[in-house]
Amino acid sequence: MMIEALLAVTLVGALVTFVAPNRIAGKLAFGISLIPAALSLWMFTAFDGSGNALLDGELAFESQFEWIQLGDYTISWLVGLDGISLPLVVLTTVLTSLAIMSSWTPIDERESQFYGLVLFIEANLIGVFTALDFFVWFIFWEAVLIPMYLLIGVWGGPRRKYAAIKFFVYTNVASLLMFGAFITLVFGLGDVTSFALPEVATAMLEGGPDGFAGLGGSALASVVFVAMFLGFAVKVPVVPFHTWLPDAHVEAPTPASVLLAGVLLKMGTYALLRFNFTMFPEQVEAYAIPIAAIAVISVIYGAMLALAQTDLKRIVAYSSVSSMGYVILGLVAYTQFGVGGATFQMVSHGLISGLMFMAVGVIYNATHTRMVTDMSGMADRMPVAVGILVAGAFGYMGLPLMSGFFGEFAIFFGAFGSGLLAYSQLFTSLAMFGIVIVAGYLLFALQRTVFGPYHLETDYDVGRAPLHDVAPMFVLLGIIIALGVAPELIFDMITDAVDPILENGGDA
Amino acid sequence: MEGLFDYAPAIALFPLAAFVIALAFGPKLPKKGAIPGIVATAGSLALSLAMVAAVVGGEEGYYHTTLFTWAAGDAAGEVGEGIEFTFGILIDPLAALMLVIVSLIAFLVHVFSLEYMNAEGETGLPRYYAGLGLFTFSMLAFVYADNLLMAFMFFELVGLCSFLLIGFWFRTRSAPSAAKKAFLVTRFGDYFFLIGVVAIAATFGTLQFAGDDSFVAAAEAAIDDGGQLFGFDAETWVTITGLLVLGGVIGKSAQFPLHTWLPDAMEGPTTVSALIHAATMVAAGVYLIARMFGYYALSPTALAIIAFVGGFTALFAATMGVVKDDIKQVLAYSTISQYGYMMLGLGVGGYVAGVFHLMNHAFFKALLFLGAGAVIILMHHEQDMWKMGGLKNKAPVTYYTFLAGALALAGIIPFSGFWSKDEILYDALIVGTEEPLIMAAYAMGLLAVFFTGFYTFRMVFLTFHGKPRSDVAEDPHPVGWAVKFPLIALGVLAVIAGVANLAPVAKLTGLEIEFLNEWLSGGAEGANYAAYTDALAAVYDTGFIGTESTTVLIAAGLSLLLAFSGAGLAWKLYNVPEPVAHKERLGSVRETIESNYYQDEYQVWLAEGLTLPLARAADRFDQTVIDGTVNGVSSVSLFGSDRIKRIQTGIVTNYAALIVTGFIALVIVLGVLGGWFL
Amino acid sequence: MNVPIEYFVLLSMALFSIGLFGILTRRNALMFLMSVEIMVNAANINLIAFALYHGNLTGQVFALFVMALAAAEVAIGLGIILVLYRNFRDVDVTVPTTMRW
Repeated sequence: MMIEALLAVTLVGALVTFVAPNRIAGKLAFGISLIPAALSLWMFTAFDGSGNALLDGELAFESQFEWIQLGDYTISWLVGLDGISLPLVVLTTVLTSLAIMSSWTPIDERESQFYGLVLFIEANLIGVFTALDFFVWFIFWEAVLIPMYLLIGVWGGPRRKYAAIKFFVYTNVASLLMFGAFITLVFGLGDVTSFALPEVATAMLEGGPDGFAGLGGSALASVVFVAMFLGFAVKVPVVPFHTWLPDAHVEAPTPASVLLAGVLLKMGTYALLRFNFTMFPEQVEAYAIPIAAIAVISVIYGAMLALAQTDLKRIVAYSSVSSMGYVILGLVAYTQFGVGGATFQMVSHGLISGLMFMAVGVIYNATHTRMVTDMSGMADRMPVAVGILVAGAFGYMGLPLMSGFFGEFAIFFGAFGSGLLAYSQLFTSLAMFGIVIVAGYLLFALQRTVFGPYHLETDYDVGRAPLHDVAPMFVLLGIIIALGVAPELIFDMITDAVDPILENGGDA
Repeated sequence: MEGLFDYAPAIALFPLAAFVIALAFGPKLPKKGAIPGIVATAGSLALSLAMVAAVVGGEEGYYHTTLFTWAAGDAAGEVGEGIEFTFGILIDPLAALMLVIVSLIAFLVHVFSLEYMNAEGETGLPRYYAGLGLFTFSMLAFVYADNLLMAFMFFELVGLCSFLLIGFWFRTRSAPSAAKKAFLVTRFGDYFFLIGVVAIAATFGTLQFAGDDSFVAAAEAAIDDGGQLFGFDAETWVTITGLLVLGGVIGKSAQFPLHTWLPDAMEGPTTVSALIHAATMVAAGVYLIARMFGYYALSPTALAIIAFVGGFTALFAATMGVVKDDIKQVLAYSTISQYGYMMLGLGVGGYVAGVFHLMNHAFFKALLFLGAGAVIILMHHEQDMWKMGGLKNKAPVTYYTFLAGALALAGIIPFSGFWSKDEILYDALIVGTEEPLIMAAYAMGLLAVFFTGFYTFRMVFLTFHGKPRSDVAEDPHPVGWAVKFPLIALGVLAVIAGVANLAPVAKLTGLEIEFLNEWLSGGAEGANYAAYTDALAAVYDTGFIGTESTTVLIAAGLSLLLAFSGAGLAWKLYNVPEPVAHKERLGSVRETIESNYYQDEYQVWLAEGLTLPLARAADRFDQTVIDGTVNGVSSVSLFGSDRIKRIQTGIVTNYAALIVTGFIALVIVLGVLGGWFL
Repeated sequence: MNVPIEYFVLLSMALFSIGLFGILTRRNALMFLMSVEIMVNAANINLIAFALYHGNLTGQVFALFVMALAAAEVAIGLGIILVLYRNFRDVDVTVPTTMRW
């Protein structure tokens, strides 16, 4: 019942924060968020699962009971953790705590509602990563959108309404597509009478659907695969479904950006891994080349877009598109290092992009501008914050001994030798060129903003950042370096959960 | 003695500790972090010397251990079984030699910094010493890395330190720009390097440098098998991967065409230039070739390309050094040129010669840079040689040590540079007699000797001889022991280091005095000089012009002749009381050379004239077409709704009419479908 | 005496058409209400006629319900018309169009 406890604590905490007075809401929410963080860290140490959650693995902290009976179909409450979801849960709880602390400075109106919503997002994200019944999972999946919509729409920048509606509608339409596809699939699978993912996965791997709505079995599987891929692709996002992301990031307040880039994007890749790449090995093989092409285009095109930006947040936002392209490449490689590296990269990118958004946020708090052209020489006034920004930027570039390098290296190594993906060497080499462009745009931005003689267009007095602004960044940096030096900390459990997936189709 | 090897990790960890101390407590320390740095590098130096002793005294002659496993898993691709990425230490004669070089120069540079940085009242010194500490850590770890991935990782980290230290004076505009350029250009090379690492790992399932399970051994076995690797002949594939790794080398060792960052990197403090951009980090590329020389030895094509790139770079950079007015710029181009020699040496199979020159160059180039640093102190931070002159008598220690370095650089007998450069050219000559491409490389290398002699002594004469040409040169700032001690130490080495391998003398007299040759023949099985000579086979025994002795004499004579004539020309032109620029005599070539053959221009154009507009175009495309489509969908639905909503007139009668019409239409449709009217 | 079912249906159809014609052409709200009532009663006739035809009382019971409903409807309808008059000084249904779009 640990997962239920985790969810309950967070939800109750959200409610408590919601009604607390504004004055103490920030500190209170931070205190409350430490409970799920501590709980999830304890779960991390006490983790005793093995194998993949969908493929007869030993789930950790599993709990199941029937919830609703709908005709022949049973909807049950089924939650549990395996080596793929646990690191993401820990990422969620830790990042939320740090994001809350980092919002003490910038958030100065309706605090209690703000922090309540942040905790509500956290609860739903935990739900997304732990739920193993499609219905329950989908409820959490959709419920994440609402608080994020409000965070952007209420506390956002000048174009917040446009960004919030675009974010909400775009991802919601995609979810609808995915939902319809999955329900169709379940109806197409003759023997399946529940929405529990393990059951669906087993049925898919033991013969696939019989056909439904005029489609034959394999055609149905292909249609569902493509529809679900498109549905998740918006969430990831991959080119060309990425345009909601920069708008949402630019308008969102810093802590919302941290969660958006840090965890919400991982929902897309996590779902891709759980659904498309676990249940449809044949379709993965059939569609490997287009998917790899999308991945490579996302990497290069996203990086090129980042190069053209002058808003620091837009730069980081587009570079997220680029980084998530690596994840897709790793997934489609369908090797242990590829898929494992992709999962690792999800965690790593969550940490690093969170760090980057926090650092940009700290600079914004002081200068009230994010435009590269408006400032230079910030290192002169805010040495510590800029130091962390530089460290984060190098982490983003995949500097060795930071987590990003392992994620990228594992993906490249896994993809280079992939037996499933034709022309994998070509795709890998092309995608790797991203590491040059990423260095280009980040160094170019750093050169213009933090180095050079001190100059600021806006009329603010810039001093050192307060401790509670830089403390969360130090924590993140510590985790990033720890994972970079010893990736085995989580890579072992990830590969343990990835292996059963590959037995069904990959050649590893 | 072998017990000493247990302390090997500490060699790198000492400077890491210094980095942490400087970063955390630097502002509160008396010398802002200099003391921990000096202590740590002294400790590393002592331990490195102990490693040399241990290699000599040990039975195996090398040390190889795995520290911990970084990541492990199933390997896909050509190898079916698992793969482990580890951190390990390999100390063989080559690594031990390099450890001593790096830690010695790091130590001396730390000492020099006491005066160059601290005494000058710089701000941000903790950052400086932290950077130096991190650099020394990364470089030492790179040197004794036992596998290619670990080498790559620390290769990247030294790049980071280079970035941070070049940009030390970040409040200027030029330093951050130079730092960015240095990182980007080397990163471009590292892109190929990383593909190479990934490819080698995916091909052979191991990245170990030495031992039976090394990728070198695996590649050799694959070539012997004659099988296909990733759709290529095994040998072709080895060549391809080798050349990919070479990309990183070309970036880091500033070889053509990725040399452009090094002259700009002179924006950093001179101490940094001495440590990073002359003696050690730039050497990392060449060292990497030496480290995995067995792999390149399998591919004559790759070796020939290395040799040709090296020879070309040697000449190319030397010609640019001739027209520079900034003392550090001259040294920067000479660094590029000298690393070209090392590449040439390694490329023609002259492993010992290349490593020998690497060592000598580290000493005399660090000496020259530190000497230039001393000059810059003397001149109150003036770097233009035309404002100097006449420093010879005012700063004798600086002068004589600088002169020793210059003689070594120009390759004048019997200074250290002569012996190693001559050996490289000798090796290139005998290989060149059978391979026209190598002969061309040799010719370029030989011609570069002339330019080297010229620009070196032009620099010496302009700086130290003649009459003072500015007020500060009349009354230079005095320098203290912290400057003089490193200069003297390195000056002595620059004079005598050649003794390590007096190959021509040995060949002419038959004496057994090729110490370095013997030293490098020991060590790990298959990863030492003895193994490479087997692989490279016959050409060294046949490619003589006449006999061995005559070949030696011809090679040495030619290079000495050119070196002396270059130096002599400089003497004639610039060793006068009031020298003038002679650039007009170059005529139309002048502008090309002064613009560095437009190398910067086209690379900047690639970045700013091509990539940036492309990125902007992509951004416009994204904003208009892709986002336009997204917004278009919403606009179309909004527009459509706006039209359709006008049906709602608010007049009840209309609604009733609509209902009735709809009902009738429905009935008709159902009727038609139901066949009522048939 | 047995009146054939067709006559009832014809009567109901006629009444319904009259009511519909009233709704589509009249602008006076009172006439509107009356037209609706005529249509409701057309339905009632149908209900009763078919109840008789099938010998089943359900239709007649329903007709009673519909009458009660119609009464309630008239009450509300007249109320609306009163409010309409108070606000617009008119009972023309084309005048109050503020609810459109």
